[in-house]
Amino acid sequence: MVSSRMIEAAVGMFLCVGVAAIFVLTLQASSMNRVPSKEIYTVRARFENVGSLRVGAPVAVAGVTIGRVTDITLDKKMFEGVVSMTLGKDFGELPKDSNASVLTRGLLGEQYIGITPGGLEEPLRDGDEIQLTQPAVVLEDLIGKFLYNAGTSQDHQQ
Amino acid sequence: MHEPAVQLDGVSFSRGTRKIFANIDMRIATGKITAVMGPSGTGKTTLLRLIGGQLLPRQGTVRVFGQQVSTLRHAELYQLRKRMGMLFQSSALLTDLDVFENVAFPLRAHTKLTERLIRDIVLMKLEIVGLRGARRLRVEELSGGMARRVALARAIVLDPEMVLYDEPFVGLDPISMGAIVRALKTINEVLRITSVIVTHDVVEVVSIADEVFLLADGRIEGHGAPHALYDDSSPWVKQFMHGLADGPVPFHYPAPSLMNDFLEV
Amino acid sequence: MIFWKYNLMQQFMDLFAALGRAVLFLFHALLLMGAALLRPRLVIKQIYSIGVMSLLIIILSGGFVGAVLAFQGYETMVDFGATDALGIMVALALLRELGPVVGALLFAGRAGSALSAEIGLMRATEQLSAMEMMAVDPMARVIAPRLLGGMLAMPLLAAIFNVVGIYGGYLIGVEVLGVDRGSFWSQIQHGVEWGKDIGNSLIKSFIFGVVVTWIAVYNGYTAEPSPEGVGRATTLTVVLSSVIVLALDFVLTAIMFGG
Repeated sequence: MVSSRMIEAAVGMFLCVGVAAIFVLTLQASSMNRVPSKEIYTVRARFENVGSLRVGAPVAVAGVTIGRVTDITLDKKMFEGVVSMTLGKDFGELPKDSNASVLTRGLLGEQYIGITPGGLEEPLRDGDEIQLTQPAVVLEDLIGKFLYNAGTSQDHQQ
Repeated sequence: MHEPAVQLDGVSFSRGTRKIFANIDMRIATGKITAVMGPSGTGKTTLLRLIGGQLLPRQGTVRVFGQQVSTLRHAELYQLRKRMGMLFQSSALLTDLDVFENVAFPLRAHTKLTERLIRDIVLMKLEIVGLRGARRLRVEELSGGMARRVALARAIVLDPEMVLYDEPFVGLDPISMGAIVRALKTINEVLRITSVIVTHDVVEVVSIADEVFLLADGRIEGHGAPHALYDDSSPWVKQFMHGLADGPVPFHYPAPSLMNDFLEV
Repeated sequence: MIFWKYNLMQQFMDLFAALGRAVLFLFHALLLMGAALLRPRLVIKQIYSIGVMSLLIIILSGGFVGAVLAFQGYETMVDFGATDALGIMVALALLRELGPVVGALLFAGRAGSALSAEIGLMRATEQLSAMEMMAVDPMARVIAPRLLGGMLAMPLLAAIFNVVGIYGGYLIGVEVLGVDRGSFWSQIQHGVEWGKDIGNSLIKSFIFGVVVTWIAVYNGYTAEPSPEGVGRATTLTVVLSSVIVLALDFVLTAIMFGG
């Protein structure tokens, strides 16, 4: 028979390992980590189409992640997707006329927000809205356009 | 005259369609050793369960220490049970605890005594059954007789007013039997505990019981002092007390006559 | 014909009555759970025999399940050039389904059967009856701590299963099959959501823990007091809890991921 002290120790270890496992899952396997920096600011952008963008998706400049999408809502008047994102202050100040687009990582990858910096002196501040945006590219539309173009070009040849 | 420890009035009980008791009246005297005897399957264990409130009668009332068992609420019933101990035929020791902890179990569950005091009480009770030296043995290491003695120590550890014994002599070798009888007598005489023994062992009962009830087919067939029952007029009582093979309970299971059976082929 | 109908009705009534008894049993045990917390020693002992004793089988199985997932996922994905997504595939399959479900099935086989056998044996040897006569409620003393132990142990076991499984998938996918290490992890980091995936995984395994432990202790408690009765109760526990876990998983998945 195992002594009761041993049992208690084993149970204690079991609880620790179990909680550690949940912790590892949270840290290693979830997008909750990687807060880009301690000091953050929030900006918004409107998109005609957000595609399959999800909360927690990265926001990147030149491929470098500088923030995360925190919220996606619908503007009920304009019927546009409003995406809120938090950006790290230590990645410098983005010009106010920067351009945000919903991009896809690879052909089958997840969608993220890519920001192309503009040329103005005035920076984006907390609560600002990015004016220039490009909607997500919907694969079906793309294929549709391609087929349409292919069809018309064939007509020209005839 | 004391109030009886247990009083059954018009108790009927059946299991499914099988009638086990039909309108039984019984008084079990305080401070005495009362034996309830009968052939196997006459519901002797059921009687103990009725007294302990684990089963409720279909009709009639069971009173223990003056309280009607069937009307008690859960908590009241548990309070009542603390005043009685029960020795199970299978001993029913808790297999994950050793001898000492088994005996200490009711104390730990119901009292807030110090470890020192618990130790003293447990050793005292183990001394009565002669197993003080076996306190650190595990339950699997005990022989049947020892296990029953440990269970007896456990049954009296809370100093109950009454102990119920379910077949305490069954399946014991003569030495273990002697040990149990001795412990049982000590408990009754020294501690003045009311004892109810359910058994079919005539010889042992006659040597210790003050009063005997004979049960058969759901009725009380005879009752009185053990020696008086030897000379009882009822042929059934005579057959049971003397262990006769033939009598009101025939030796042969009902069958067509021997001649017919052989001629049938 | 009328007799047949009557018989069927009777059987349905019996079935409902059995279900009702089991539900009342669970409520009774849940009510006594607070009292069980006051006796932490009993609960600790149960977490030991339910949780710690299941640890080895959970870790071994988790590792193998993760490794097999990586193998099979790789085989399929390599044709599409999508092996970068192997990490997220392994992680989501484990978190959403395999961790809670396979964990619960193993739990039923290891801990559930042991619980049924243990309590059934206590019934057969009159230990439960003896407790009642000693004015100790077996529901509070025996059942409630075990139920609590199972409820606590199952989510932790499933979480351990998940982590070991992901590392098993990593070992095969990255070290053996040569998937890019960075994309394996970054896909997991980008793809797994806390609430939807990890949270639901914990909720699922908690529910499975309650259900399996409930079935196990109920079958043990109501076992026929004989060696055959205990054997039947043990078998019934494993069969019943496996089927119910799988059926319940379907319902939970539809609720959690269907909408």
